[in-house]
Amino acid sequence: MTIRNLDFFGLLFVFLASILGIGAYYYLRNRRRELYPYGNWDELLKRLAPLDHQNIERIAEDPAAHSEHNVLRVETMDPQDIWRLLGGMRGIEVMEKNCSVLVDLVFYVQQWYPEALHIAEQLRLNAREVEWHIGRLKATAKSGRPPAAAAEYLQQAVAIYYHMTREVLALYEQANLPGLADLQRAL
Amino acid sequence: MHLSRVIFAFWAAGLTAQILLLFVLLARHRARTFPVFTTLIAANVLNSVVLYEVALHGSKHDYFVAYFAFAVLDLVLQLSVTYELARHVFCPTGTWARDIRKGFLILVLASLAIAFALACLPSPPEKTVLGMLLDRGNLFSSALQCELFVGMIAFSSTANLPWNTHVARIAQGLGFYSLVGLLTEAGHNILTRNTMAYQSLTYVRMSTYLLCASYWIVMLWLPAPGPQELPEEAQRQLFTLQRRVEYDLRKLRAFKQ
Repeated sequence: MTIRNLDFFGLLFVFLASILGIGAYYYLRNRRRELYPYGNWDELLKRLAPLDHQNIERIAEDPAAHSEHNVLRVETMDPQDIWRLLGGMRGIEVMEKNCSVLVDLVFYVQQWYPEALHIAEQLRLNAREVEWHIGRLKATAKSGRPPAAAAEYLQQAVAIYYHMTREVLALYEQANLPGLADLQRAL
Repeated sequence: MHLSRVIFAFWAAGLTAQILLLFVLLARHRARTFPVFTTLIAANVLNSVVLYEVALHGSKHDYFVAYFAFAVLDLVLQLSVTYELARHVFCPTGTWARDIRKGFLILVLASLAIAFALACLPSPPEKTVLGMLLDRGNLFSSALQCELFVGMIAFSSTANLPWNTHVARIAQGLGFYSLVGLLTEAGHNILTRNTMAYQSLTYVRMSTYLLCASYWIVMLWLPAPGPQELPEEAQRQLFTLQRRVEYDLRKLRAFKQ
Protein backbone atom coordinates (compact mmCIF):
# COMPACT_ATOMS: atom_id res chain seq x y z
CA MET A 1 0.00 0.00 0.00
CA THR A 2 1.42 3.40 -0.93
CA ILE A 3 1.99 6.21 1.55
CA ARG A 4 -0.75 8.18 -0.20
CA ASN A 5 -3.26 5.38 0.37
CA LEU A 6 -2.24 5.21 4.01
CA ASP A 7 -2.89 8.94 4.29
CA PHE A 8 -6.22 8.37 2.59
CA PHE A 9 -7.27 5.72 5.11
CA GLY A 10 -6.09 7.92 7.98
CA LEU A 11 -8.21 10.79 6.70
CA LEU A 12 -11.12 8.46 5.98
CA PHE A 13 -10.98 7.15 9.55
CA VAL A 14 -11.04 10.68 11.01
CA PHE A 15 -13.82 11.62 8.59
CA LEU A 16 -15.96 8.60 9.49
CA ALA A 17 -15.41 9.03 13.22
CA SER A 18 -16.43 12.71 13.00
CA ILE A 19 -19.46 12.03 10.80
CA LEU A 20 -20.68 9.18 13.01
CA GLY A 21 -19.97 11.07 16.24
CA ILE A 22 -21.69 14.30 15.19
CA GLY A 23 -24.51 12.43 13.44
CA ALA A 24 -25.20 10.16 16.44
CA TYR A 25 -25.13 13.07 18.90
CA TYR A 26 -27.63 15.21 16.99
CA TYR A 27 -29.75 12.26 15.86
CA LEU A 28 -30.22 11.09 19.46
CA ARG A 29 -30.98 14.65 20.50
CA ASN A 30 -33.65 14.92 17.79
CA ARG A 31 -35.02 11.50 18.61
CA ARG A 32 -35.43 12.40 22.27
CA ARG A 33 -37.34 15.49 21.19
CA GLU A 34 -39.62 13.40 18.98
CA LEU A 35 -40.36 10.99 21.81
CA TYR A 36 -40.87 13.77 24.32
CA PRO A 37 -41.86 16.83 22.33
CA TYR A 38 -40.95 19.19 25.16
CA GLY A 39 -37.94 17.11 26.01
CA ASN A 40 -38.79 14.53 28.65
CA TRP A 41 -41.08 16.50 30.96
CA ASP A 42 -38.98 15.80 34.04
CA GLU A 43 -35.83 16.70 32.16
CA LEU A 44 -37.42 19.92 30.95
CA LEU A 45 -38.31 20.91 34.49
CA LYS A 46 -34.76 20.13 35.55
CA ARG A 47 -33.52 22.39 32.77
CA LEU A 48 -35.69 25.26 33.94
CA ALA A 49 -33.66 27.00 36.62
CA PRO A 50 -35.48 29.11 39.19
CA LEU A 51 -35.39 32.88 39.02
CA ASP A 52 -36.94 35.26 41.50
CA HIS A 53 -40.21 35.97 39.67
CA GLN A 54 -41.08 38.97 41.79
CA ASN A 55 -37.74 40.61 41.01
CA ILE A 56 -38.05 39.78 37.31
CA GLU A 57 -41.54 41.25 37.30
CA ARG A 58 -40.32 44.41 39.03
CA ILE A 59 -37.61 44.91 36.39
CA ALA A 60 -39.98 44.14 33.53
CA GLU A 61 -42.77 46.35 34.77
CA ASP A 62 -40.47 49.31 35.51
CA PRO A 63 -41.59 52.33 33.43
CA ALA A 64 -38.16 52.49 31.73
CA ALA A 65 -38.84 49.11 30.14
CA HIS A 66 -41.81 50.59 28.26
CA SER A 67 -40.83 53.14 25.66
CA GLU A 68 -44.37 54.56 25.61
CA HIS A 69 -43.80 55.99 29.14
CA ASN A 70 -42.02 59.30 29.49
CA VAL A 71 -39.14 58.03 31.61
CA LEU A 72 -38.03 61.56 32.52
CA ARG A 73 -41.21 62.20 34.49
CA VAL A 74 -41.32 59.03 36.56
CA GLU A 75 -38.81 57.44 38.84
CA THR A 76 -37.06 54.55 37.13
CA MET A 77 -34.82 51.79 38.38
CA ASP A 78 -31.14 52.31 39.03
CA PRO A 79 -28.77 50.17 36.84
CA GLN A 80 -27.18 48.71 39.95
CA ASP A 81 -30.64 47.75 41.26
CA ILE A 82 -31.45 45.96 37.98
CA TRP A 83 -28.21 44.03 38.18
CA ARG A 84 -28.81 43.12 41.85
CA LEU A 85 -32.47 42.15 41.38
CA LEU A 86 -31.58 39.92 38.44
CA GLY A 87 -28.96 38.16 40.53
CA GLY A 88 -25.94 39.30 38.50
CA MET A 89 -24.25 37.00 36.04
CA ARG A 90 -26.08 33.94 37.38
CA GLY A 91 -29.40 35.59 36.58
CA ILE A 92 -28.38 36.18 32.98
CA GLU A 93 -27.22 32.59 32.62
CA VAL A 94 -30.48 31.25 34.04
CA MET A 95 -32.48 33.48 31.72
CA GLU A 96 -30.47 32.22 28.73
CA LYS A 97 -31.07 28.57 29.67
CA ASN A 98 -34.78 29.12 30.29
CA CYS A 99 -35.06 30.85 26.95
CA SER A 100 -33.90 27.72 25.16
CA VAL A 101 -36.66 25.82 26.97
CA LEU A 102 -39.15 28.36 25.64
CA VAL A 103 -37.84 27.60 22.15
CA ASP A 104 -38.58 23.93 22.88
CA LEU A 105 -42.14 24.75 23.84
CA VAL A 106 -42.61 26.51 20.51
CA PHE A 107 -41.03 23.50 18.79
CA TYR A 108 -43.77 21.40 20.33
CA VAL A 109 -46.47 23.58 18.83
CA GLN A 110 -44.74 23.58 15.43
CA GLN A 111 -44.32 19.81 15.38
CA TRP A 112 -47.80 18.79 16.39
CA TYR A 113 -49.95 21.56 15.03
CA PRO A 114 -48.85 22.13 11.41
CA GLU A 115 -51.73 24.49 10.71
CA ALA A 116 -50.08 26.95 13.11
CA LEU A 117 -46.80 26.58 11.23
CA HIS A 118 -46.35 30.13 9.92
CA ILE A 119 -46.88 31.83 13.22
CA ALA A 120 -44.91 29.21 15.14
CA GLU A 121 -41.99 29.62 12.73
CA GLN A 122 -41.97 33.38 13.37
CA LEU A 123 -42.11 32.80 17.09
CA ARG A 124 -39.29 30.26 16.92
CA LEU A 125 -37.12 32.85 15.14
CA ASN A 126 -38.04 35.50 17.72
CA ALA A 127 -37.30 33.19 20.63
CA ARG A 128 -33.90 32.39 19.12
CA GLU A 129 -33.21 36.11 18.76
CA VAL A 130 -34.05 36.74 22.41
CA GLU A 131 -31.64 33.93 23.25
CA TRP A 132 -29.01 35.66 21.11
CA HIS A 133 -29.50 39.04 22.81
CA ILE A 134 -29.17 37.45 26.21
CA GLY A 135 -26.02 35.66 25.06
CA ARG A 136 -24.64 39.03 23.95
CA LEU A 137 -25.43 40.54 27.33
CA LYS A 138 -23.65 37.67 29.01
CA ALA A 139 -20.57 38.29 26.90
CA THR A 140 -20.67 42.01 27.77
CA ALA A 141 -20.93 41.24 31.47
CA LYS A 142 -18.12 38.70 31.27
CA SER A 143 -15.86 41.13 29.44
CA GLY A 144 -15.77 43.17 32.64
CA ARG A 145 -17.69 46.19 31.37
CA PRO A 146 -19.70 47.77 34.18
CA PRO A 147 -23.29 46.50 34.19
CA ALA A 148 -24.52 50.09 34.20
CA ALA A 149 -23.32 50.49 30.61
CA ALA A 150 -25.75 47.88 29.37
CA ALA A 151 -28.50 48.44 31.94
CA GLU A 152 -31.16 49.65 29.53
CA TYR A 153 -30.42 46.83 27.10
CA LEU A 154 -30.53 44.35 29.97
CA GLN A 155 -33.85 45.69 31.21
CA GLN A 156 -35.42 45.33 27.78
CA ALA A 157 -34.17 41.74 27.50
CA VAL A 158 -35.60 40.93 30.94
CA ALA A 159 -38.91 42.49 29.96
CA ILE A 160 -39.14 40.43 26.78
CA TYR A 161 -38.17 37.28 28.65
CA TYR A 162 -40.78 37.97 31.30
CA HIS A 163 -43.57 38.64 28.82
CA MET A 164 -42.67 35.58 26.79
CA THR A 165 -42.90 33.33 29.83
CA ARG A 166 -46.29 34.82 30.78
CA GLU A 167 -47.65 34.51 27.26
CA VAL A 168 -46.40 30.95 26.83
CA LEU A 169 -48.13 30.04 30.10
CA ALA A 170 -51.32 31.70 28.88
CA LEU A 171 -51.02 29.81 25.59
CA TYR A 172 -50.69 26.49 27.37
CA GLU A 173 -53.66 27.38 29.52
CA GLN A 174 -55.86 28.33 26.54
CA ALA A 175 -54.83 25.29 24.47
CA ASN A 176 -55.38 23.03 27.45
CA LEU A 177 -51.97 21.49 26.89
CA PRO A 178 -50.67 18.97 29.43
CA GLY A 179 -48.28 19.86 32.22
CA LEU A 180 -49.53 23.41 32.77
CA ALA A 181 -49.32 23.22 36.58
CA ASP A 182 -45.72 21.99 36.43
CA LEU A 183 -44.84 24.70 33.96
CA GLN A 184 -46.42 27.39 36.14
CA ARG A 185 -44.37 26.25 39.10
CA ALA A 186 -41.17 26.16 37.03
CA LEU A 187 -41.60 29.48 35.25
CA MET B 1 -20.55 -9.02 -22.11
CA HIS B 2 -21.36 -12.01 -19.93
CA LEU B 3 -23.40 -11.48 -16.76
CA SER B 4 -22.79 -13.82 -13.84
CA ARG B 5 -25.77 -15.38 -12.03
CA VAL B 6 -25.13 -13.32 -8.91
CA ILE B 7 -25.07 -10.05 -10.85
CA PHE B 8 -28.22 -11.08 -12.73
CA ALA B 9 -29.98 -11.88 -9.43
CA PHE B 10 -28.97 -8.47 -8.01
CA TRP B 11 -30.11 -6.77 -11.20
CA ALA B 12 -33.53 -8.50 -11.14
CA ALA B 13 -34.05 -7.83 -7.42
CA GLY B 14 -32.98 -4.20 -7.83
CA LEU B 15 -35.30 -3.59 -10.77
CA THR B 16 -38.25 -5.20 -8.95
CA ALA B 17 -37.63 -3.08 -5.85
CA GLN B 18 -37.36 0.11 -7.90
CA ILE B 19 -40.58 -0.59 -9.82
CA LEU B 20 -42.38 -1.38 -6.57
CA LEU B 21 -41.05 1.82 -4.99
CA LEU B 22 -42.13 3.86 -8.01
CA PHE B 23 -45.59 2.29 -7.75
CA VAL B 24 -45.80 3.21 -4.04
CA LEU B 25 -44.70 6.80 -4.75
CA LEU B 26 -47.36 7.21 -7.43
CA ALA B 27 -50.18 5.18 -5.85
CA ARG B 28 -49.84 6.85 -2.41
CA HIS B 29 -49.46 10.33 -3.99
CA ARG B 30 -45.99 10.84 -2.52
CA ALA B 31 -44.71 11.94 -5.95
CA ARG B 32 -46.44 15.30 -5.48
CA THR B 33 -44.53 15.93 -2.25
CA PHE B 34 -41.22 14.44 -3.44
CA PRO B 35 -41.04 15.02 -7.22
CA VAL B 36 -37.23 14.88 -7.36
CA PHE B 37 -37.03 11.68 -5.33
CA THR B 38 -39.63 10.14 -7.66
CA THR B 39 -37.54 11.24 -10.65
CA LEU B 40 -34.47 9.61 -9.08
CA ILE B 41 -36.28 6.29 -8.70
CA ALA B 42 -37.69 6.51 -12.24
CA ALA B 43 -34.17 7.26 -13.54
CA ASN B 44 -32.90 4.20 -11.63
CA VAL B 45 -35.50 2.00 -13.36
CA LEU B 46 -34.39 3.37 -16.74
CA ASN B 47 -30.75 2.92 -15.70
CA SER B 48 -31.28 -0.76 -14.87
CA VAL B 49 -33.08 -1.51 -18.16
CA VAL B 50 -30.64 0.39 -20.40
CA LEU B 51 -27.51 -0.98 -18.71
CA TYR B 52 -28.88 -4.53 -18.99
CA GLU B 53 -29.46 -4.07 -22.70
CA VAL B 54 -26.01 -2.53 -23.25
CA ALA B 55 -24.38 -5.29 -21.18
CA LEU B 56 -26.01 -7.96 -23.34
CA HIS B 57 -25.62 -6.38 -26.77
CA GLY B 58 -22.86 -3.79 -26.50
CA SER B 59 -19.09 -3.84 -25.96
CA LYS B 60 -17.37 -3.40 -22.63
CA HIS B 61 -16.48 0.16 -23.56
CA ASP B 62 -20.11 0.93 -24.48
CA TYR B 63 -21.17 -0.37 -21.08
CA PHE B 64 -18.64 1.82 -19.28
CA VAL B 65 -19.72 4.93 -21.18
CA ALA B 66 -23.41 4.24 -20.47
CA TYR B 67 -22.61 3.47 -16.81
CA PHE B 68 -20.62 6.71 -16.51
CA ALA B 69 -23.44 8.78 -18.04
CA PHE B 70 -25.98 7.29 -15.62
CA ALA B 71 -23.59 7.74 -12.69
CA VAL B 72 -23.39 11.49 -13.46
CA LEU B 73 -27.19 11.68 -13.73
CA ASP B 74 -27.48 9.75 -10.45
CA LEU B 75 -25.10 12.15 -8.69
CA VAL B 76 -27.03 15.21 -9.91
CA LEU B 77 -30.37 13.67 -8.91
CA GLN B 78 -29.13 12.53 -5.49
CA LEU B 79 -27.87 16.04 -4.73
CA SER B 80 -31.19 17.43 -5.94
CA VAL B 81 -33.02 15.04 -3.59
CA THR B 82 -30.85 16.32 -0.73
CA TYR B 83 -31.89 19.86 -1.68
CA GLU B 84 -35.52 18.75 -1.85
CA LEU B 85 -35.33 17.27 1.65
CA ALA B 86 -33.53 20.37 2.95
CA ARG B 87 -36.34 22.55 1.58
CA HIS B 88 -38.91 20.44 3.44
CA VAL B 89 -37.02 20.87 6.72
CA PHE B 90 -35.63 24.40 6.47
CA CYS B 91 -38.37 26.16 4.48
CA PRO B 92 -41.40 25.29 6.59
CA THR B 93 -43.18 28.43 5.44
CA GLY B 94 -41.96 28.44 1.85
CA THR B 95 -38.87 30.60 2.38
CA TRP B 96 -35.56 29.55 3.94
CA ALA B 97 -35.47 30.02 7.73
CA ARG B 98 -33.42 33.20 8.35
CA ASP B 99 -31.23 31.61 11.01
CA ILE B 100 -30.21 28.76 8.69
CA ARG B 101 -29.36 30.36 5.32
CA LYS B 102 -25.75 31.41 5.96
CA GLY B 103 -24.85 28.28 7.92
CA PHE B 104 -26.29 26.02 5.23
CA LEU B 105 -24.27 27.75 2.51
CA ILE B 106 -21.07 27.32 4.57
CA LEU B 107 -21.97 23.65 5.12
CA VAL B 108 -22.37 23.07 1.37
CA LEU B 109 -19.06 24.76 0.50
CA ALA B 110 -17.10 23.00 3.28
CA SER B 111 -18.67 19.63 2.37
CA LEU B 112 -17.70 20.09 -1.29
CA ALA B 113 -14.10 20.88 -0.34
CA ILE B 114 -13.73 17.95 2.07
CA ALA B 115 -15.37 15.45 -0.29
CA PHE B 116 -13.15 16.66 -3.14
CA ALA B 117 -9.99 16.31 -1.02
CA LEU B 118 -11.02 12.83 0.08
CA ALA B 119 -11.75 11.72 -3.50
CA CYS B 120 -8.42 13.05 -4.79
CA LEU B 121 -6.27 11.36 -2.18
CA PRO B 122 -6.24 7.61 -2.96
CA SER B 123 -3.78 6.45 -5.59
CA PRO B 124 -5.48 3.58 -7.40
CA PRO B 125 -3.68 0.76 -9.19
CA GLU B 126 -3.59 1.03 -12.98
CA LYS B 127 -7.03 1.79 -14.32
CA THR B 128 -8.55 3.45 -17.36
CA VAL B 129 -9.27 7.17 -17.09
CA LEU B 130 -13.01 6.45 -17.20
CA GLY B 131 -12.73 3.77 -14.51
CA MET B 132 -10.73 6.07 -12.27
CA LEU B 133 -13.15 8.94 -12.79
CA LEU B 134 -16.03 6.63 -11.91
CA ASP B 135 -14.47 5.37 -8.68
CA ARG B 136 -13.38 8.84 -7.58
CA GLY B 137 -16.76 10.29 -8.55
CA ASN B 138 -18.63 7.65 -6.53
CA LEU B 139 -16.40 8.30 -3.52
CA PHE B 140 -16.94 12.07 -3.87
CA SER B 141 -20.70 11.60 -4.11
CA SER B 142 -20.92 9.29 -1.06
CA ALA B 143 -18.72 11.53 1.11
CA LEU B 144 -20.66 14.65 0.09
CA GLN B 145 -24.04 13.05 0.81
CA CYS B 146 -22.86 11.85 4.25
CA GLU B 147 -21.64 15.34 5.15
CA LEU B 148 -24.79 17.06 3.96
CA PHE B 149 -27.10 14.70 5.87
CA VAL B 150 -25.14 15.02 9.09
CA GLY B 151 -25.06 18.79 8.63
CA MET B 152 -28.82 18.86 8.08
CA ILE B 153 -29.45 16.80 11.21
CA ALA B 154 -27.21 19.13 13.22
CA PHE B 155 -28.81 22.32 11.87
CA SER B 156 -32.36 21.12 12.38
CA SER B 157 -31.52 20.11 15.93
CA THR B 158 -29.86 23.43 16.75
CA ALA B 159 -32.58 25.51 15.14
CA ASN B 160 -35.38 23.31 16.54
CA LEU B 161 -36.91 22.55 13.15
CA PRO B 162 -38.89 19.30 13.03
CA TRP B 163 -38.55 16.59 10.36
CA ASN B 164 -41.75 15.39 8.77
CA THR B 165 -42.04 11.57 8.97
CA HIS B 166 -41.56 10.77 5.28
CA VAL B 167 -38.75 13.29 4.86
CA ALA B 168 -36.94 11.65 7.77
CA ARG B 169 -37.40 8.14 6.33
CA ILE B 170 -36.05 9.10 2.88
CA ALA B 171 -33.10 10.87 4.50
CA GLN B 172 -32.33 7.89 6.76
CA GLY B 173 -32.26 5.54 3.78
CA LEU B 174 -30.11 7.85 1.65
CA GLY B 175 -27.80 8.60 4.58
CA PHE B 176 -27.25 4.91 5.36
CA TYR B 177 -26.69 4.08 1.69
CA SER B 178 -24.14 6.92 1.39
CA LEU B 179 -22.30 5.76 4.51
CA VAL B 180 -21.95 2.18 3.26
CA GLY B 181 -21.16 3.59 -0.20
CA LEU B 182 -18.33 5.61 1.31
CA LEU B 183 -16.71 2.45 2.69
CA THR B 184 -17.20 0.35 -0.43
CA GLU B 185 -15.97 3.17 -2.71
CA ALA B 186 -12.91 3.66 -0.51
CA GLY B 187 -12.11 -0.01 -1.20
CA HIS B 188 -12.90 0.36 -4.92
CA ASN B 189 -10.43 3.23 -5.15
CA ILE B 190 -7.44 1.15 -4.04
CA LEU B 191 -8.35 -2.25 -5.51
CA THR B 192 -7.94 -3.51 -9.06
CA ARG B 193 -11.13 -3.96 -11.07
CA ASN B 194 -12.51 -7.48 -11.65
CA THR B 195 -10.77 -8.97 -8.59
CA MET B 196 -12.79 -10.96 -6.06
CA ALA B 197 -12.37 -8.29 -3.37
CA TYR B 198 -13.53 -5.53 -5.76
CA GLN B 199 -16.61 -7.57 -6.75
CA SER B 200 -17.47 -8.34 -3.12
CA LEU B 201 -17.55 -4.64 -2.31
CA THR B 202 -19.90 -4.11 -5.27
CA TYR B 203 -22.22 -6.81 -3.87
CA VAL B 204 -22.20 -5.10 -0.45
CA ARG B 205 -23.20 -1.82 -2.07
CA MET B 206 -25.96 -3.49 -4.12
CA SER B 207 -27.32 -5.33 -1.05
CA THR B 208 -27.41 -2.05 0.87
CA TYR B 209 -29.37 -0.43 -1.95
CA LEU B 210 -31.89 -3.30 -1.88
CA LEU B 211 -32.23 -2.91 1.87
CA CYS B 212 -32.84 0.83 1.57
CA ALA B 213 -35.32 0.42 -1.30
CA SER B 214 -37.29 -2.14 0.78
CA TYR B 215 -37.27 0.26 3.74
CA TRP B 216 -38.61 3.09 1.55
CA ILE B 217 -41.31 0.85 0.06
CA VAL B 218 -42.67 0.05 3.52
CA MET B 219 -42.21 3.49 5.06
CA LEU B 220 -43.62 5.46 2.14
CA TRP B 221 -46.59 3.13 1.90
CA LEU B 222 -47.49 3.80 5.53
CA PRO B 223 -49.32 7.09 6.14
CA ALA B 224 -47.66 9.87 8.12
CA PRO B 225 -49.25 10.53 11.54
CA GLY B 226 -52.21 12.87 11.12
CA PRO B 227 -51.86 16.45 12.34
CA GLN B 228 -53.65 17.45 15.52
CA GLU B 229 -55.88 20.48 15.54
CA LEU B 230 -54.84 23.52 17.51
CA PRO B 231 -57.85 25.15 19.22
CA GLU B 232 -58.84 28.47 17.68
CA GLU B 233 -58.31 30.32 20.95
CA ALA B 234 -54.78 28.92 21.23
CA GLN B 235 -54.03 30.01 17.65
CA ARG B 236 -55.13 33.54 18.50
CA GLN B 237 -52.98 33.41 21.61
CA LEU B 238 -49.99 32.24 19.61
CA PHE B 239 -50.52 35.07 17.13
CA THR B 240 -50.69 37.67 19.91
CA LEU B 241 -47.58 36.26 21.56
CA GLN B 242 -45.61 36.41 18.32
CA ARG B 243 -46.71 40.00 17.63
CA ARG B 244 -45.75 41.10 21.12
CA VAL B 245 -42.34 39.43 21.03
CA GLU B 246 -41.69 40.91 17.59
CA TYR B 247 -42.62 44.38 18.87
CA ASP B 248 -40.42 44.02 21.96
CA LEU B 249 -37.55 42.73 19.85
CA ARG B 250 -37.67 45.85 17.68
CA LYS B 251 -36.88 47.90 20.77
CA LEU B 252 -34.09 45.54 21.75
CA ARG B 253 -32.56 45.58 18.27
CA ALA B 254 -32.43 49.41 18.42
CA PHE B 255 -29.97 49.33 21.32
CA LYS B 256 -26.30 49.71 20.47
CA GLN B 257 -23.73 48.29 22.87
